[in-house]
Order: sequence, then structure tokens, then C-alpha cells
Amino acid sequence: MDLTGSQRIEAPREEVWRALNDAEILRQCIPGCQELVQTSPTEFTAKVVLKIGPVKAAFAGAVTLSDLEPPTAYRIYGEGQGGVAGFAKGGAKVWLIEEEGVTILNYEAQAKVGGKIAQLGARLIEGTSKKLAGEFFGAFALLVAPAPVDVTTE
Amino acid sequence: MFPFTYHRPTDLPTVHALLGGNDEAKLLAGGQTLIATLKQRLASPSDLIDLAAIPGLAGMSREGDTLVIGAMTRHADVAASPLVREALPALAALAELIGDPAVRNRGTLGGSIANNDPSADYPAACLALDATIVTDKREIPAGDFFRDLFETALEPAEVILKVIFPLGGQGAYEKFPNPASRYAMAGAFVWRGMGKVRVAITGTGQGGVFRWSEAEAALMTDFDPSALDGLWLDGDAMISDIHGTGAYRAHLAGVMTRRAVSRILALG
Repeated sequence: MDLTGSQRIEAPREEVWRALNDAEILRQCIPGCQELVQTSPTEFTAKVVLKIGPVKAAFAGAVTLSDLEPPTAYRIYGEGQGGVAGFAKGGAKVWLIEEEGVTILNYEAQAKVGGKIAQLGARLIEGTSKKLAGEFFGAFALLVAPAPVDVTTE
Repeated sequence: MFPFTYHRPTDLPTVHALLGGNDEAKLLAGGQTLIATLKQRLASPSDLIDLAAIPGLAGMSREGDTLVIGAMTRHADVAASPLVREALPALAALAELIGDPAVRNRGTLGGSIANNDPSADYPAACLALDATIVTDKREIPAGDFFRDLFETALEPAEVILKVIFPLGGQGAYEKFPNPASRYAMAGAFVWRGMGKVRVAITGTGQGGVFRWSEAEAALMTDFDPSALDGLWLDGDAMISDIHGTGAYRAHLAGVMTRRAVSRILALG
């Protein structure tokens, strides 16, 4: 399952790029993230509580940054085990385009869940992924530049 | 199941005291989603607060131009109620179509709308009938209540007490159930009255129940299925899963809407 979208951020590209590599900002943007600890410049360990309707499962896992092309693009990838609930993994290719002091953040994200959570939630994975991706980039834009102007998801 | 503490309070202040500041406590209404989730170990609340023993939360009554249904009223009771069948027959018919007998005999109106499952039936009725959801804190119009996938305007410790359905006009609900779960693959609740038309679609939208405004506008001009000729929802924005693609659901929702319109016309 793939989803793409873009987000206009009222900030220069350098600033957006710094934020994309800042553990504290990422922690505040990842939906349900309780803890994000940087273990190397491109690696983090994470604790995320996923809440979808009646389901509430805690995932422990790792977040990795790769294919870094500062200050324009990288790939962010996360994978976590949720015990009996199953596993979840997802990633996004993110690239930034600067337009007259404003940055357009584009993303192409993929999400996958497996195990029990997938059986029970099969009909909801796409909607949930879209919602979580929207929450992540929406929160990110708000943190980097307090008033986002335009949000599009397709 | 993971262990939890079960409570069965007999008044609302005790419910508030138990909920207060405890993020890990969950309210239990009919339990037809929550208990299944607990059995699968997909949630582990510390406390379950059963609302079944709170007086006054179940029951139906006619108050002026409205039908008032308590949050803990079971689907089977709504379906069988002579009062609902007479005052709001489309709602009784909808309740009859929910899930299976076990779900209908345990599941409740309040539980269904608080969960806001994107395939649940009651949210479509609340939206199309412009119901008001009354909680222990405030009154919320249905249009503001259903926010997104499994998301409502409810605050963490807010309890739904009842739902007020305005009477008048004519309504019909048509649904195409998933043959196994009986969840709506697509459901359309159409209502017309006082020069207005409302169309609420469930089972189809990725963000849960929604009003189909293009169909409403077309039906306001001419309340006939033919007014919807060529009008369909965008399949890319609809739920896509192993049971059906977004395009399939978009088409089904259009068909259910046309059938509901025909059904209302047949009422005369």
C-alpha cells in the first residue's frame, strides 16, 4: 500500500532539513511516539503506542534514516514488534523543494502490518496509514512553521 | 485476555471518579467490539467500567417532535420497539440490519457511535437525521460529532447519555452487508423533509461516515433516482481492502443511495 502527499511549509529548506534530522522534533511528530532515542546520526530506537479505535498496542522498534542527500532528500524507515499484536513497518521517501523561501515537502510512504493486528484490521490499514501519515507531516509542518498554508493528500 | 479490573458502578459520579485521570480505563457499553478486541489481546486496559447498571441510560421515549434513545439501549430493543417503528421506521429497520442476533442483543447505540467504526450503521442514521448526541457535559450535533476514522468529538472522560432524533420527513436506509461480518460494505441513509435532503454514507469513506453533498444537491432539485444519473463517488478516496476495492465501494454506495431514494418514493 502506497500513499503520497505533499505539505507546504513556511520555512527555508535548510531549516526543514534540520528538523527532519532532529530526534526531538521527530518524536513529537510520530503519532503515539512515547520515546525516540538517537543511537547514531541515522539510527534511533523508538517506543510507539498505536491506537486505532478499540485497538491499542505498544510497539518497540527502530527508526533508520538512509539515502541521505542533504539538504534535499532522505528515506525514513521504521519497524516495530508489538508482541502478540503483530508487527508494523513503514517508511517514506521524503524530498524537499524550495520555492521562494517556502519549502514543499513531498512524501511517498509505504506501510505494512502483519500478525493478529492485520487480520483484525485488514479493512482499516489503508485508511489508518493515510491518517497517520497525515498526522505526522501535519504536526511536522506546525512545529517547523507555526501556520501551514496548504495540505494535500492524494 | 490480559487481566483488568472490572467495575459496575450504579451512578455517574462513580463513573467519573473511576475514569478521572486514568488513561488506561475503558468504558464498557455492549462490548461487541471491545470484548472481541480484548480477547485478541489487541488492547489491555487497566480497568473496564461497565455502564449497564447506571439507571436511566437505556430506553426510548417520544418528547415533543423528537425521539430520544438512551445510550445503553440495545439494537434489538430499538428494532422491536413499537414506538420507534411508528415514529422513525427507518431507524428501527436499520437496527434490525446490524450485525447478528448476538450483536443486536448486546450492542448499544452509544457504544456504536462512540466507537465510530467506518462501517457501522448508526453513524449514518445520526448524520442523515441530524441527531443531537447528549453527553454528561454538552450537546453535540451529529455533524460535529463524527470526526474521522474511529474519532469523535468526545473527550477522554466524556460519557454519552442519549441521542435525540428530530421527527418529521421521510427516511430510508439501504445497506450492502459484508456476508460474513454484516458490517456495511456500503450503506446509505437518505432523508428528506422541509425542503431539505440529507444523504449519509457509511462503510465506504476512509475517514468514516460522511455526507454526500453532490447527491444531496441533485436530489434537492429532483427527488428521483434519475437525478443521480452519472453521479458517483471518487473510488480513490474510499476504503480499499480484501473485501472490495475503493471503486467497488464507491459504486455500491451510489447504488444504495438510489435504492434508498426509490424506497422513500414508494412510501408515498
